[in-house]
Amino acid sequence: MSSWPRVAAWSPFRHVWPDRIGQWIAQRGCKPLSKELCGAATDAFLDLLLLGMDLFFRLSKSFRRNLDGFRGRYLFRTADDQVRSGVAFHDQRMELHPEGISDWDVRVSFKNVPALKSFLFSQDQDILNSLLRNEVEIDGNLSYVYKFAFMARDLKRRVGLQ
Amino acid sequence: MALQDLSLRECALTPRVTHLKQIYFRAMPEICVERPRLITRYSLDHGLFNRDRISILDKARMYRFVLENRLPIVSHTCSYEKGMKPFEFVEDSLFAGSTTTRFKGVPLYPELMALALWPELSTMSKRASNPFQITEAEAKALNEDIFPHWIDGTILELARKRAQNGKPAYSASERDLLELKLLQWLVFFLVSKPNCISHTIPDFNKAIGAGLRSMVEEAAGRAAAAADPSQKEFCQAVAEVLEGVIGYSRRLADKADSMALTEPDPVRERELLDLAKIHRRVPEYPAQSFREGITTVWICWTAIHLENPNVGLSLGRLDQVLWDLYRRDLEAGAISVEDAVELICCLWLKIGDHVPMIPETGEQLFGGSGSNQAITIGGVDRDGRDAVNDLTYVMLRATELMRLRDPNLNARYYPEVNSRDYLRRLCEVNITTGATPALHNDRAVIKALTSKGDTLEQARDYGVIGCVEPGSNGRSYGSSASILLNLTSALELTLFNGRHRHTGLDRLISIETGDPAQFRTFAEFETAFENQTRWLIDRAVALNELLGRVHQDFYPTPILSALFEGPMDKGRDLIQGGAVINSSGATIIGLADVADSLSAVRRVVFQDQAASFATLLDAIRKDFAGYETLRRRLTNQGRTPKYGNEDADADGTVTRIVELLDKAFGAKTSYRGGRYRVGYWTMTNHAGFGRLMGATPNGRKASENFTSGITPVSGVTPCLTKALNSVAGLPVQCLSNGVALNLKYTPEMGHPNRMLNSFVATVEGYFDGRGGQSDGGMEIQFNVTTHDSFADAVAHPEKYPELLVRVSGYTAYFKDLNPQMQKEIIDRTEYLLSTGRMVFYEPFPLPQGRTER
Repeated sequence: MSSWPRVAAWSPFRHVWPDRIGQWIAQRGCKPLSKELCGAATDAFLDLLLLGMDLFFRLSKSFRRNLDGFRGRYLFRTADDQVRSGVAFHDQRMELHPEGISDWDVRVSFKNVPALKSFLFSQDQDILNSLLRNEVEIDGNLSYVYKFAFMARDLKRRVGLQ
Repeated sequence: MALQDLSLRECALTPRVTHLKQIYFRAMPEICVERPRLITRYSLDHGLFNRDRISILDKARMYRFVLENRLPIVSHTCSYEKGMKPFEFVEDSLFAGSTTTRFKGVPLYPELMALALWPELSTMSKRASNPFQITEAEAKALNEDIFPHWIDGTILELARKRAQNGKPAYSASERDLLELKLLQWLVFFLVSKPNCISHTIPDFNKAIGAGLRSMVEEAAGRAAAAADPSQKEFCQAVAEVLEGVIGYSRRLADKADSMALTEPDPVRERELLDLAKIHRRVPEYPAQSFREGITTVWICWTAIHLENPNVGLSLGRLDQVLWDLYRRDLEAGAISVEDAVELICCLWLKIGDHVPMIPETGEQLFGGSGSNQAITIGGVDRDGRDAVNDLTYVMLRATELMRLRDPNLNARYYPEVNSRDYLRRLCEVNITTGATPALHNDRAVIKALTSKGDTLEQARDYGVIGCVEPGSNGRSYGSSASILLNLTSALELTLFNGRHRHTGLDRLISIETGDPAQFRTFAEFETAFENQTRWLIDRAVALNELLGRVHQDFYPTPILSALFEGPMDKGRDLIQGGAVINSSGATIIGLADVADSLSAVRRVVFQDQAASFATLLDAIRKDFAGYETLRRRLTNQGRTPKYGNEDADADGTVTRIVELLDKAFGAKTSYRGGRYRVGYWTMTNHAGFGRLMGATPNGRKASENFTSGITPVSGVTPCLTKALNSVAGLPVQCLSNGVALNLKYTPEMGHPNRMLNSFVATVEGYFDGRGGQSDGGMEIQFNVTTHDSFADAVAHPEKYPELLVRVSGYTAYFKDLNPQMQKEIIDRTEYLLSTGRMVFYEPFPLPQGRTER
């Protein structure tokens, strides 16, 4: 997400501006993610999604409410481990681990990137549907996936896509 | 019996009921956050999160808090209609109170499966099928204030964590228990305990006859006298929750009084004052009138739903429970039959005031389901005498007039004890409603229950639970839907030597029982199938047991226990084995497809040697592409034996399978102390599982529906009598958790009497069991709607809002079913009763009207 570092530089000011300004700035920074969400997902999809989420957490007070009291460690990976990323939520923060993460609460293994995208975002779908198609396998606490899926869909709405 | 006309044709829908019914069909379901908000608040305030165990007294105090703080709703005034547009009305029901704060609410149980709705919070009101209305504020509350507290505390997660401690994981790189992986893959079995236990019938007799105040006093007395601390705690818990129920009813009375003060309409004012008077009396004290009796049932029912999810909780034999009050009122001239019908219509609508929480994809497996609240009428009493009474006919008339999904009406019939006029009336209501009531053969059901240890008196007093499961009324905690086993997966594991096409043929799932292509005899194949079946049963039962023990530690049930026969005497919660009768229930999906597949393997591969096993395996792997000739052979009932044609080979295979399952499940003892019982009813799972499974040796192609319940495969049983005799010939002692035989009849409106006569005759023949040679069929249910009407309803669902269908057990509105299930119902074998022969239709194309998932 090319513009993300520039936008993130504004994050120290996040407490002084109204939420809608933070949202507007974050939205600008999420254009690459919007492209992925609108078109075919590439291998960069997962990283862009996590970066976009991180950006919104930094800049949007209302989105940050999702982190209130939340601790959770996620590992996302393709079955062949070609795509792999970890993320930890704690102390009102989101921490990215591009190399993966150990001691996860939940591990989401997906067939390929489009399967992950479908798992999280498809219209009229939910998590169980991807499980039905056997495209995604969950180890660990399924409720953490439910929460993550809500945040991902909320993010999609905030970047202007329904 | 005072009735001259058993049809009660003079009783029509009153203006009140007509108005309420219109609102009912107009209103969309709405999410209700009251229960999750109150239990979360209580749990936070009292430190119930992150405990190792939650005591029954903790739970009882929590439910009392909920009962004392929930909104007392005497009359709903608004809801949402299609397009999620709000509309206003006055609910002038003869009963006050509700299970949720909404006119048609979706109660949430975050301890169980409510968190599955989390991803959908902002989209569920727009989803393609069966949307739920939710406000932005409620979605926000669930996301921020409620769900996060339960993220580590659901029953499934608690079980998963417990399983991690000490049991081997599926593999070195995966932490979760094998059984949990099997559940997640969805094609092997489902277990219901992550979502509920529920499936049972409470005992309302004591609440009606003695009142809750007397039950509180009894509980307090037993608590004071108990030496055992756990018994003392149990009795204290019962007293707590019953005080809560009494308080809730009193608050409804207060509310009705206050509404009457400002009510300008004197008629409505009088009604509100009457409601207040009734709620000051019951359920605290014994009911003195029919209406008070129903009110007691209704208020207890709302309380039970605060604790137990609305899945398969059933009301039992209401025509017996309320009979004395009805008779006394009628004899005293306090009510007329018309009044009684109106009261029952109002009760039926109240019972349907909630729908189950189903996530979007759950619609594939349970699409269109209501809460499956079964009510049972007729049959015999505990002494074996005819129990059909006037109230039985009042309830039948109310059902005929209302045509509602809930309650799910089930009629018992004891041949030669109940009258033929009664049976005739049951068949007539099936023709007029097109789908209800389901008919149960008392002789066969009672034999099935006594074969599992129920006494004769207990068995005679059975009621129907959920879909079709029989259980002794108010005293049997059967958890009848504990396990839903996909038997076709056992066949799949046999065909592919412990592997499954859904999870990949490179992954060993179960045990290796040999490559079928190397088997020399059918017996080797059958042994392999038996071993795979036993393996699958072991896994399903192990998971159910694990979940049951987690329920014992975290989900005590003081409200249901208070309204049940056994727990007070034993001083023990239902989930600790407090009921008089304890059992666990499994139901099997895919019986007919598996049986016909085994028959096909035996005939085609081993007897006729028309194809090698390797060829057959290749054919089903390729979904019969290039093997059309072989497929025609496999599907031809003239050349390959098919269950449902009085073919000894084919029917014998079914018998061996049900005996195998009964023996394997029956050997297991549950955590509550009872044995497992097996049934054959599939709800919509035969469509859901069918969607996920590859082609099968009976010629069924990949993703096609399996056959429902205990019904023979569609299209291969041309003769109705033979089909009925085949099913009636199965050993009922192996079917003790109930069966659903689904039949579809062509309405013959030009000859209504002839049709009714034939209808009655076929039921009698089926229950008679080849003139007494067998036990007779246990259950039968019907769809009586034309093929054209179904086709039109697919194209124009808005024209058929009330088109009621029997799925496989429960009733549903056809428009609410997913496309696969609609197709399954349309494609069911249809018979013309006047000829007793199958009517041929081309397979119906999969409806495309909604998003295909």
